[in-house]
Amino acid sequence: MTAAGAPAPAPLSRDSQLAAEIKGLVTSGERDAARERYGELVARQQRRAVRIAYTYLRDVHDADEAVQDAFVKVFTHITSYREDLPFEVWFTRILVNACLDLRKSRSRRLRWTVPMSSTGDMPPADPATPEQTPEQRLVSRERANEITEAVESLPARQRTVFTMCHLAEQTTAEVSQALGLSEATVRVHLFRAIRKLRRLLERD
Amino acid sequence: MKASHLPDDRLIELCMLDAASATEQHHLSACARCDARRVRLQRLLDEVSDTATAAADAAFPPERLARQQARILAHLQHEGRPARVIAFPAGQAPHEPMVSRTRPRSRWIAGAAVAGLVVGVIAGRFGHDYTFARPGAARVIVARTAEQPELRDGSIATIQEITASISDDEFLNQLEMAIDEPAAAALQPLDELTPRAWDVR
Repeated sequence: MTAAGAPAPAPLSRDSQLAAEIKGLVTSGERDAARERYGELVARQQRRAVRIAYTYLRDVHDADEAVQDAFVKVFTHITSYREDLPFEVWFTRILVNACLDLRKSRSRRLRWTVPMSSTGDMPPADPATPEQTPEQRLVSRERANEITEAVESLPARQRTVFTMCHLAEQTTAEVSQALGLSEATVRVHLFRAIRKLRRLLERD
Repeated sequence: MKASHLPDDRLIELCMLDAASATEQHHLSACARCDARRVRLQRLLDEVSDTATAAADAAFPPERLARQQARILAHLQHEGRPARVIAFPAGQAPHEPMVSRTRPRSRWIAGAAVAGLVVGVIAGRFGHDYTFARPGAARVIVARTAEQPELRDGSIATIQEITASISDDEFLNQLEMAIDEPAAAALQPLDELTPRAWDVR
């Protein structure tokens, strides 16, 4: 797959190998087989994808839509996948773009509509464990809301970088590739994001 | 000692990106203040990611993920297939794939023109019936004037007066009567040309 004599590349992840295999199947016209293999890739990346999209969009339906969009786009454009890049980086870039598009369309939509209820899209999350007392659960929920609001209050670029570095566990080099920013810029956004989160969340 | 404290940005890098060098490790083990800062930052970052992960996992339980996966694969199943072409006029199967040479905008204009024509024909016919007091329309007007004397005596009521004085049901009945009249037969050829949903499987 790689040219002989080239410097030894980093070993491909299982997902990158799978993506390369799917690309090969699509190129040779075996779309049904490619789709079948793609189901496996979707299953492997899906959980990570919904975590990123949900953290970014804070709306179940929008996150669902963004993830579906991203997976469909990836398959549609699988022939343009470059095997020398980790699949996760390529996919995350497409996913983040899908989230940004949805955010834009959501703000357009909200300009023309009046929210029916403030609880409609509240995150169903309650990170409390069942063993907690009601008081502890309340405190946990309040803390979770504080954290969610703090992340939400970050400027868009800082939130994207923070989400990708911290929650999607990508390196700054990968994030810089995915967002088309220099690595130094990615680091600056990350530092600013964390400083702001500390200011908002640290209790002394 | 104070000068060698680790800066905030370096602590962030150590918590998220890089491994500590030997010197930094030595400093962290010797400096309780820096170590406490690092531990506090790490705890905060863990708390943020745990909260985000728990919220996302609660919003997307396994059943929802399975449904989502099924929808993605179903979408891909249809991807790349050509769109179905409905024969028009009805009953004439297209001999070759029909490729539209008109731009969407001109199709919209044509559609709007046809819709306007149809509405105009119906409205014109309807207005005409009342203005010139054709036999069917006269019957309605006489009936109304008998029941509701507030209509002007001896004058021909305008469509506004009639619609203002009758109920919605009566108005709709009169609309149906007007459409059933032979004038609507002019639209019959257009109706025959149009395919029906049950003709097109």
